[in-house]
Amino acid sequence: MTEIENEIKVTGKEEPKIGVYVCHCGINIAGVVDVFALKDYALELPNVVLAREYKFMCSDNGQQMIKDDIEAGLINRVVVAACSPRMHEPTFRLACKEAGLNQFLFEQANIREHATWVNMRDPEGAYEIAKDHIRMAVAKARKLLPLQVQKVKVEPSCLIIGGGIAGMNAALDLSNEGYKVYLVERTPTIGGHMAQLDKTFPTMDCSACIITPRMVDVARAKNVEILTYSEVIEVSGYVGNFEATIMKKPHYVDQEKCTACGACVEKCPITCGNEFDLGMGIRKAIYIPFPQAVPGEYTIDMDKCIQCGICAKEDVCEPGAIIYDDKPEYINVKVGTIIVATGWDLYDPTELGQYGYGRFPNVIDGLQMERLLSSFGPVLGKPVRPSDLKAPHSIAFLQCVGSRNFRDGGNQYCSRVCCMYATKQARQYKEKHPEAEIYIFYMDIRAFGKGYEEFYESAAENFGINYVRGRIAEVREGKDNNIIIRAEDTLLQKPIELEVEMFVLSCGLEPRADADKVSSLLSVQRSGDGFFMEAHPKLRPVDTLTEGIFIAGVAQGPKDIPDTVAQAKGAASSAAALMALGEVEIEPYYSVVIEQLCSGCRSCQSLCPFGAIEFDEFKKIAIVNPALCKGCGTCVSACPSGAMVQNHFANFQLNSIITWALKE
Amino acid sequence: MNEENDWRYAFFLGCVAPNRYPMIESSIRAVFEHLGAELLEIEGASCCPAPGVFRAFHIPSWLVIAARNIALAEEMGVSPITGCNGCYGTLRDAWFEMEHEPELKAMVNEHLAKIGKTYKGNLEPKHVVQALYLDMGIDFLKDHIKHKFKDLKVAVHYGCHILKPSDKRPWDGEYENPTFLDELVEITGAKSIDYTDKFMCCGAGGAVRTAVKEVSADFSREKLTNIREAGADIIIDVCPFCHLQLDLGQMEANGYYGDMIGEPFKIPVIYLTQLLGLSFGIDPNKLGLIKNHELSGVPPFISIEPFLDIVKERLI
Repeated sequence: MTEIENEIKVTGKEEPKIGVYVCHCGINIAGVVDVFALKDYALELPNVVLAREYKFMCSDNGQQMIKDDIEAGLINRVVVAACSPRMHEPTFRLACKEAGLNQFLFEQANIREHATWVNMRDPEGAYEIAKDHIRMAVAKARKLLPLQVQKVKVEPSCLIIGGGIAGMNAALDLSNEGYKVYLVERTPTIGGHMAQLDKTFPTMDCSACIITPRMVDVARAKNVEILTYSEVIEVSGYVGNFEATIMKKPHYVDQEKCTACGACVEKCPITCGNEFDLGMGIRKAIYIPFPQAVPGEYTIDMDKCIQCGICAKEDVCEPGAIIYDDKPEYINVKVGTIIVATGWDLYDPTELGQYGYGRFPNVIDGLQMERLLSSFGPVLGKPVRPSDLKAPHSIAFLQCVGSRNFRDGGNQYCSRVCCMYATKQARQYKEKHPEAEIYIFYMDIRAFGKGYEEFYESAAENFGINYVRGRIAEVREGKDNNIIIRAEDTLLQKPIELEVEMFVLSCGLEPRADADKVSSLLSVQRSGDGFFMEAHPKLRPVDTLTEGIFIAGVAQGPKDIPDTVAQAKGAASSAAALMALGEVEIEPYYSVVIEQLCSGCRSCQSLCPFGAIEFDEFKKIAIVNPALCKGCGTCVSACPSGAMVQNHFANFQLNSIITWALKE
Repeated sequence: MNEENDWRYAFFLGCVAPNRYPMIESSIRAVFEHLGAELLEIEGASCCPAPGVFRAFHIPSWLVIAARNIALAEEMGVSPITGCNGCYGTLRDAWFEMEHEPELKAMVNEHLAKIGKTYKGNLEPKHVVQALYLDMGIDFLKDHIKHKFKDLKVAVHYGCHILKPSDKRPWDGEYENPTFLDELVEITGAKSIDYTDKFMCCGAGGAVRTAVKEVSADFSREKLTNIREAGADIIIDVCPFCHLQLDLGQMEANGYYGDMIGEPFKIPVIYLTQLLGLSFGIDPNKLGLIKNHELSGVPPFISIEPFLDIVKERLI
């Protein structure tokens, strides 16, 4: 309250004294329009008592100009004509606040994005548009009223969606800082894709040796509650106070009773492909995904189970843990923050018919190759080709499968890991079979990370892996299911035809197939490539535009393990920073009800998408919960008696803008 | 015209079919009539013009002539349809480009105005195969099957312009390993066999046949060798120019590359609607399958008698 008491008293009844500050933004604005003329134009507008221009209004000096004018009592309203408020509205509001002016007596005119950037080849047009924006901002400023920031408490807990390497690291960091974490994972084990990998580039350290102890750490962490085989199905609330409903899918095995003896697996008569090995290994209908799974919980795959009853027999499951009619369980949690770390799907190369995936047995994808190389994979790290289960004498890799494709339906982005994983896999195979001929067909080799270029150079120099610059046009099947490749070596400018015994497609990474569901569940936006969008590509890489929700890992965009972990730690840190404050400020843009006008028709209540409107049964009027209200304005337009007013966007304020927009 | 559908098209004949293979035109007409689709005559149609030749020299000329042909169909209020991949390439590419670039359309109409024509661009040019597969659909065609082949191995040849450029074609993602033509062939009971480099050019296109006949015959030699190795009884195609190259081209390949080929090629080449027509129970005379033996030096150059023997024995 002290802040408010210290503020210069502005009630809205005194004469507005508006200061207009025109920013050059380097040459972004000043290079297109005459900022001095704009300043003079602003001075002609009613209530504008002073106008200034400066090279960078957002700089310390720029902000100081505003503060000095406020403190000298020259102005009681501020308009900055500069960039989008997205970035610097908070900057200028803080300047106003520090000078003792209520921060909501500030208005920003976006003459960069709206005028000079889009019309940089039409300076005269840009100038006219800039004038319009300044005139409208001044019109709004004339009608601004001081507002008070609302503060709400922040729940000291975090919901992390996705138990891969990103989610796990974020969970550990937050747990160590003392925050409660709910780690929700939809498969029966945490570990994610990294648990499927054999070795990691460029250090060639064993992926399983890194991740399995980490999985155990997460299981042991005292503040982490692991919810595997679970999905978040509903999220409501707002920053600091989210409520999530989580569905725990039925395991059909009572985890309390199960001793994980594995006798059921031995007896189960149903054998099917193991998802963990991408269908190349087998599992039973009752299974754990892989021996090091955390938690080591058994699950019955009801799509495969024939309910023969063998596993439930007393002499098989002594504790009697099998429950064929197990039901899903729903739990509700209250959290202050959410981290989305849902990871990725591998691009499905079936639609690229020219590469023969799905038609020829010896064409496999990069993740399948990874499982073949894995010491705990289906062939115990001694890769064989699918057609005859023999070790191939020659292998070709093709890069950028499903990536960097600008044709219809293709992913245009670079997946960032394929160059290195193919190089790594090629080296691993060469270590086992030095006599093998390995070819990597590429467009460009992108070896950008720490130690990557050295790793790639060594693969070519010391391991004799043949890098061929050129796309493969098509492949066909030759004798013995060998693959005959037709390509162009663009460095030699020669078409080549090459027969290899196995062909690996280095498929790229894609957003999860159900990313759209997560997006609408959490109101988190996605960028054009389908990955979740960060709030700012440079300065807010782990935040989303929904306050309190953060993103980490490949869910945000393709990245390797070090970058994923770094981003996860960043997301955890940002979430912790928010929770450490204990309370969070909410923009006071909520709607308020003018009690005398409200007739109690409840139209607004049924329309409010956020459930922010309650009904006072005694007074028979609507009441808005400021913490839940997002300021969308739906109730304002719906109210038949004009009783709803939205702070900062009240009708008289908007009318003022419109009136002045139409004046010349 | 069938009352339940709107299968009316303006039949664009092109050059090769009327001049060399009237049986192709005849079989298309017979099959469409049988299926209740109407083919209207375009008065005053010119060369499409050929994509490999005209477009390579002067794009605006190519575009204006193509637009004039489409405009003739527009005057009848129906889509132009062609049984030729080359004509399809020109008409469809021209249509697509003008749809997406209004300046091109304006340029074209400026020229067409001189002869009192206008190109509107609201009607999509179609291929006979597109009408059969997308407009009518496999299930509809299956209902018309009266006879089925028992044991007929077919090497399907798609040709290039029907598939590419992929963004200007209607096959919904099926460009690198398409199946629509195989599906159409297989409703007759025939088996579409896989063969090496199935999607290879016949050898004629891109003016190669006109400019360097040896090279074009070499293409055909390779393609035909692969087809023969796979054990095909006949070749099915959907383009008169491919048809010419795969038919007359067998004699040319036998001549140029006889020592490489060994036993000379003599694989019957049949147009899709000829095969479908037989299965529908249409008179082989209407399908242009019966040839007067005294007419030598007239297409088809490779005898289709072996195919007719199969028809007699195995079309049940």
